[in-house]
Amino acid sequence: MSTTIVQNKEYKNKQKTKDNFISAIIGFFAFVWIFPILWTLWTSLRPYNDIISYGVFSWPRNLNLDNYFQAFRVMGLTKYFLNTLYVMVPSVILILFLGSLIAFVVSRYSFRFNLTLLLFFTAGNMLPTIATYIPVFWLYIKIGDLFGNRSLLYNNYFGIILIHVAFQVGFATFVLSSYMKTVPKEISESAILDGCSVFRHYWNVMLPLLRPPLAALGVLMSCWIYNDFFWALILMSEDSKRPVTSALRQLQGQYITDFNLLAAGASIVAAPTIILFLVLRKQFVSGLTLGATKG
Amino acid sequence: MSDVNNGISRRSVLKGAAIGGAGLVAGGSLLAGCGKKQVTGDVHFTIRGNLSDAGAKIAIAANDAYTKKTGNKVISQAVNSDDFQNNFVQIMQGTPDDAFGWMAGWRTNARADAGLLADVSEQVKALGSSLSAAAIQGATNPSDGKQYIIPTTYYPWGLHYRKSTMQELGLNPESIATWDDLIKLCEATQKKGLVGYALGDKGGWEAMGTFDILNMRLNGYQFHIDLLNGKEQWTDAKVVEVFNHMGELIPFMNKNVLDISWDGMRDLLLQKKCGAMMMGSWFANDFLAKSQADYDDLWIVPFPEINPEHGIDSIDAPLDGISVAANGKNPEGGADLAGFLGSKEGIDAAVAAGDTNIYISSDFDTSSYDAFNKQKLAVLGAAKNIGFFLDRDTRGDFAGPVVGPAIQSFLKNPKDLTKILESTQAQWDALPAL
Amino acid sequence: MKTAAVNKKVRSRRSLSRNDRFTLGAFVGLPTLLQVVFLWAPTLITVILSFTYWNGINVADIKWAGFANYKNIFFGSPVFYDALKNNIVWLLWFTFIATPLGILLAYQFDRKIKGHRIYETIFYIPVVLSLAIIGIIWNFMLQPGGFVQGVMGRDIGNAISIWGNYDINSYVIMALASWRHIGYIMLLYLAGLKAFDSSLREASAIDGATEWQTFRKIIFPTMRPVNVIILVITIIDSLRAFDLVYIIYGTSTAWPLLNILAFQNFAGQGISMKGAAYSVIALVLCVVPILVYLRNVFKEDLQ
Repeated sequence: MSTTIVQNKEYKNKQKTKDNFISAIIGFFAFVWIFPILWTLWTSLRPYNDIISYGVFSWPRNLNLDNYFQAFRVMGLTKYFLNTLYVMVPSVILILFLGSLIAFVVSRYSFRFNLTLLLFFTAGNMLPTIATYIPVFWLYIKIGDLFGNRSLLYNNYFGIILIHVAFQVGFATFVLSSYMKTVPKEISESAILDGCSVFRHYWNVMLPLLRPPLAALGVLMSCWIYNDFFWALILMSEDSKRPVTSALRQLQGQYITDFNLLAAGASIVAAPTIILFLVLRKQFVSGLTLGATKG
Repeated sequence: MSDVNNGISRRSVLKGAAIGGAGLVAGGSLLAGCGKKQVTGDVHFTIRGNLSDAGAKIAIAANDAYTKKTGNKVISQAVNSDDFQNNFVQIMQGTPDDAFGWMAGWRTNARADAGLLADVSEQVKALGSSLSAAAIQGATNPSDGKQYIIPTTYYPWGLHYRKSTMQELGLNPESIATWDDLIKLCEATQKKGLVGYALGDKGGWEAMGTFDILNMRLNGYQFHIDLLNGKEQWTDAKVVEVFNHMGELIPFMNKNVLDISWDGMRDLLLQKKCGAMMMGSWFANDFLAKSQADYDDLWIVPFPEINPEHGIDSIDAPLDGISVAANGKNPEGGADLAGFLGSKEGIDAAVAAGDTNIYISSDFDTSSYDAFNKQKLAVLGAAKNIGFFLDRDTRGDFAGPVVGPAIQSFLKNPKDLTKILESTQAQWDALPAL
Repeated sequence: MKTAAVNKKVRSRRSLSRNDRFTLGAFVGLPTLLQVVFLWAPTLITVILSFTYWNGINVADIKWAGFANYKNIFFGSPVFYDALKNNIVWLLWFTFIATPLGILLAYQFDRKIKGHRIYETIFYIPVVLSLAIIGIIWNFMLQPGGFVQGVMGRDIGNAISIWGNYDINSYVIMALASWRHIGYIMLLYLAGLKAFDSSLREASAIDGATEWQTFRKIIFPTMRPVNVIILVITIIDSLRAFDLVYIIYGTSTAWPLLNILAFQNFAGQGISMKGAAYSVIALVLCVVPILVYLRNVFKEDLQ
């Protein structure tokens, strides 16, 4: 009895030294991991001319936020941030709404094709985007022409929103339906017995219960859509309507690039998602967890 | 005043709709057959590049002059040039701006055949004798004899270097006349610790300039054009010879050819890290933007003779100009603006704004040229045949996806040449008929 | 028990009013329509287009090509095999290096080693960054005149080759891709571990099992469902890889991937349906892992 305790203590001590060692190694790698970001921030605080005259490693003679102000002005960042919002907010709301509809039906009502439907949505989320590039563009033009307005979908926020929704709703469906399975069936049954209509059953009974996964998904989706620049490149012909991530391409000029200015621009554009992550870490994690590790 | 499009887009969509209506009305009145027409309505213009670029400022100045003359507003937007070129076919099928800077050759002709570009023959005719027959010829689509681009500027591809660097090294590139001279020059530069022959090919097109000139020097212009149009074989010993010459230059190149794009090459020259560099002269605007002294230090000479049969009779001199989208809201206005930009008034406005390009129009006063521009003209004048550059002289589904990777593979591994050329030919053979 | 539940469900469906049925139809129909029109139909069209010649402009110009595009790719385009090789290198690297590293980190963080909270955050930050920004950040680090070159004492004139050096560029690209992937896997696995019964581990520790034994014999097998999903995510991500390389090389094929070739032939100055064929090949390669994933995820429901 006493020997086990001694052994255990010894073991614990040994383990502690080992853990400190492991922690130090991981700490080193964590530094390597974060260094490029820190270096970008550092670069963004220095004027271009200092770098040109004294080199990248020179002691800073000037540190200021000039690059940030200039980036805001040159890039017209306010405009691009607004564009991102115009696309992101409706997309996220629609994704959550449509995803929860399917998840609701699939998990609360029994149809023969329930599983097929779920498979269909989940698989859709995994298709490579490139495969849809030309047809989507072509479809947008044709649908627009059908209604007599070519800009109905193409070169329109609405079109970008639709394509984000189409691509992401599968993920939301999957996450929400897994979550709903954990919600006791009795709640639904009593609702049905009470004579709730399908809509009230969804809106008044289920939706309030879905708040946690909706929040988690909302955060995750906002981050993904914020970061996208590919669809806007293809489906937006007007630069002034493109999101903030593609505005960075404007700073990476044809001509002599002011890297310090670019660093400031990149930092500004990166800030919202990093802040979102730091503040809403829990939601981030549970969003991914619900989606990918459901056994 | 032209207006850089930076308003909230919803507003500009509404504006766009209104313009669309106006355009229809204008078109209707034209059909009704009014004699002298006054083109009206806002014109949308795409600038390839950044708003802060020298080029964008010049384009805006020229557009302003158009507004001042006609009262028609020009709404310009600046877009990333690569994105615009990559998505060109989509942009032109969607809701394109009315006019934009573009390039003559396959990229214009094929897209015109597909109905994406508007005919500007009338505007070209109006420019009359200010355009040489050769320039008009270069801008003409061979399949229907019409013009879909108003030629404005052109520039030579040649050996660029800094006068000061060469002086310090005690070299005189003006005297290089043969291939051996060039090799000696590269050797001498390299001995002093500089890059002998600066090249970048990360973009996959930059080294095409070297290929073009070697092919034209060794095998002549006609062979070059025939090769690019499938009338000669890539496996021909003549093509092997071209790559062998390129291979001879590899030891003098910077070791990171596939790391840097054309701007990396430019920086090598700007920072005096290299001797000679084969490139199109358009980048001179950047030297001027850096400083007058840097610009004054820049010089160009023709690529030396290799095969006496062909001398230095050919050159790549891409012809740039303004094209008009067939699907724009106001193609008439676009054509009118394009015509203006090719006319004396348009050119004067651009030059006043600091444009260092060579205009093709004879209305343009060449006596005011600076020394570098005069030298560019001399380089151009030395050539009898003008190529437009590989990616404008051959099919788009061949240049970028096939020739680009082929040259990159060669630079990566010159020993694979036979295999590379065989596959290049095979891929040409597999292309669908146009 | 099970049949009773089914009966109940069936009963509840039978009792649906006409209105309710309409609502249900709309609930299912709307999102499904969206998926079909903007996702499945375009994919199908791409598959069909891959058997044609077309310049992407006028529908009337579409010509049947049979397998010509595929034949061209398989027998006439050496760049295809380079791309395939790169995709496989990517896949192997992710499977055997990046993903295990992510799992290792997750395991250590789950043990709450010193500083695990801040480490977790640091490793996850790259995952929330846009690839546009990742491209810029790494360009700072690696470009001539940048940090890495500077540390090695190189300036722009004698900068060492990174993107164009075929001895190292694959590793550099893999490192960049891992910068993002490791954090992602770490977080997924960590979430799985949190659900793991920690008393099992403590018991094994008391039994004197080493860390490695505990992990290999107890934790890893128990985590099987998570393992499969992470493996499938790794495979699909490797086959779908595109953005990072596009940011670095553009449409040039200096370091080709299947999707880069697809994009280059689909877009660019000459559009050909060879691009469609490339993306169909990438799609077909993705189908098997997607099926495995679906089977694994919906195992219970399928029974």
